[in-house]
Amino acid sequence: MDSSKLNHEGLLALDQPLVKVPLEQLKRAFRSSQKHVEKEMAAVSAQLESALAKAAAKPDEACSAIDATLSRLQGLKRKLAEIKTEEDLYVGRTKLRLEHLAEMTRISSADSEAFTRWSKTRLSRILVDYMLRKGLSTSPAKLAADSHIEVAPAHRLDFVDIELFAQSRRIEDALRRRSCAECLQWCSENKSSLKKMKSTLEFSLRLQEYIELVRARNLPQAISHARKFLTPWSDTHMREIQQAMGMLAFSPKTACGAYKALFDDGRWEMLTEQFRADNYALNSLTLQPLLHMTLQAGLSSLKTRTCYQPPTRNINCPVCDADTFGYLAEKLPCAHHVNSCIVCRITGRIMDADNPPLVLPNGQVYSSWALQDMALRNNGAVTCPATGSTFHVSEARKAFIM
Amino acid sequence: MDSLIKDFEKVAKRQRTLKDETSKTLDALIQRLSETKAAIAEGAGPTACAKPANEAKDLAGKLTESYKDMQSVLYKYAKSVEKRFKTDLDNIWDPRAFDDKDDVLCRTLAIHFVREGRFDIAEAFAAETAVQIPETLKAQFLEMFFIQEALRKRDIAPAIQWAARHRGELEKRGSMLEFHLHKLQFVQHLVAGEPLAALEYAKANFGAFPRHLKEIQQLMCSILFASKLSVSPYANLLNPHLWTDIQTTFCRDFCMLLGLSSDSPLFIAVTAGTTALPTIIKMSSIMKDKSGLEWSQQGELPVEIPLIDAYRFHSVFACPVSKEPGTEENPPMMMPCGHVICKESLMRLGKGNLTSRFKCPYCPLESTAAQALRVHL
Repeated sequence: MDSSKLNHEGLLALDQPLVKVPLEQLKRAFRSSQKHVEKEMAAVSAQLESALAKAAAKPDEACSAIDATLSRLQGLKRKLAEIKTEEDLYVGRTKLRLEHLAEMTRISSADSEAFTRWSKTRLSRILVDYMLRKGLSTSPAKLAADSHIEVAPAHRLDFVDIELFAQSRRIEDALRRRSCAECLQWCSENKSSLKKMKSTLEFSLRLQEYIELVRARNLPQAISHARKFLTPWSDTHMREIQQAMGMLAFSPKTACGAYKALFDDGRWEMLTEQFRADNYALNSLTLQPLLHMTLQAGLSSLKTRTCYQPPTRNINCPVCDADTFGYLAEKLPCAHHVNSCIVCRITGRIMDADNPPLVLPNGQVYSSWALQDMALRNNGAVTCPATGSTFHVSEARKAFIM
Repeated sequence: MDSLIKDFEKVAKRQRTLKDETSKTLDALIQRLSETKAAIAEGAGPTACAKPANEAKDLAGKLTESYKDMQSVLYKYAKSVEKRFKTDLDNIWDPRAFDDKDDVLCRTLAIHFVREGRFDIAEAFAAETAVQIPETLKAQFLEMFFIQEALRKRDIAPAIQWAARHRGELEKRGSMLEFHLHKLQFVQHLVAGEPLAALEYAKANFGAFPRHLKEIQQLMCSILFASKLSVSPYANLLNPHLWTDIQTTFCRDFCMLLGLSSDSPLFIAVTAGTTALPTIIKMSSIMKDKSGLEWSQQGELPVEIPLIDAYRFHSVFACPVSKEPGTEENPPMMMPCGHVICKESLMRLGKGNLTSRFKCPYCPLESTAAQALRVHL
């Protein structure tokens, strides 16, 4: 197996959010403009019909009806222009992102300058994604705008979805302030997609509003709220609704398990989580940050049994640093290798037929280049770095490791 | 990928034309409506009124149709995206090994930014996450990037000063950085058309590097060709790669003295992970079908992940006989013929007897288990 051959299909699969996010946004923007057009066009036809019908009898009324239609058309024009700017953004963005992915499919080797460059861009992308998910704003914006990404500055921001996370943060902040309004607004904007996903977020939000009314002992309003907003969910959530109605009999300080849980403040945190999960799913973003997945896979494939041990420590190996990556890799499995691969502990190079492994009398193995170089500088004497013992280079024997 | 791009180009084109079409149609529509209104106001006959009105209705219908058309183009692209990207990324490998380790992850990010020389991002990130960046690390990398930037501008002086300060440590590690810096300075004198200055420089500086005698001889000889270096046997001294190479060498040696890797470990780990994930995704889908066993909890990945040579940091020994990995209990042993197998295989060949003779599985030589030497790779 050629270890440097790139698996293009697999790599593309990892970056699907890059293409799917702007597609979802474009679809949403287009649907809304289409809805406006269809509605207004139907209205125009209907208005004209009725205007013509009364043209002879009441020309004044007909004229003012047409005037009303005209002003509605002006409104439509304005609205469409707004949506078009948004669409242009998503179209331009998709174009750049597809190009970025296509660029990768033209690189054949993982061991090439071009792939290193592409990987640096990708690293910046997934770091920004991670930082945005953490709710940061300044540093990811800085990184997105000033990264080593080698494209025109105006394009750099196109590889990350800062607006999406900004909107999501606004809603999360609102939930943290105990306000459901913003999140409910988002639910109604994405009603059909959420329904398709079988999301129960809206019910949870309505239930929370109800709980808050009960907590404030505003019982009549709580009951009317439940009648209006909870009953539509009775097909699927009858048990929860019954339990919610049961709450009316209890005070917020109740010790009764089920009701205590409903009054618990932790529910708000849960709502935030639920919103976040639905929002990510809606936009085809992964639930876990890509950084987590990639880093776990990377550390695991680098990790060996000898990583944490001082005699075999390699400063270039991330896992060997026990304070940072070594700690992160603690619970990860080691890499699996079917074949031996001997790396010289002096030069860090892989030993092969050109640079065969030599065994010193104490059993320590180093590459012949390393030992010969050392012998050249010290009149044939070689000092084993692991044990400190000195030998003559002629004492070293060739080992055959298959 | 190409077909996807083609599908998308259709979307982009249709979106563009639809934009013009919409504004034209809406203008025409407004025009017809105004005409209808005028006709009604004048009290024209029903046919005169109906003409612009019907045209308007046609326009309205046409616009609705155009949007339907755009919808079908867009949905075609959406469908090919769905077809192209159907891996469920949420259900691939997620051992959740980073739970409760977020602060360490943040620290590695902050260090990464410092190491990449993006100090302002590091500051902003540290401020937002309350992560502490060690001041010494920052100062060290500020120095490194200052010297590297100077090298980029072909100013060697700061690098030479640094290398001279650390001559002992660099030599102990077999680094040739300082000599190569002096060499570049020497060549710069030649390029500037000052062979005498080059000679003086050589006299003053090359004496400290007896190890590089041969190269010094070549350099001294190049003075003879100073006026036409580019067509001389010494043209390779002008290779611009020497300048990019020296930057890489400098950064590597600088980091080495700090006990750090030359590449950012975050970059290494993430790049290794990027190339590893496709294999892991494939594996996890197969494993899930089989039994749903939690293989991430086991000590080893069930499949070999291809790694490029530069990312091989440790020796890995797999016994050629048993395919078992070398461990402390089952270490690699070298037989007198030089072939290495694991201890368990060795004992099996000797039928558990340290002194019974057996033939090496790879060559005709016979030996006993007692004669084998434990090797450290």
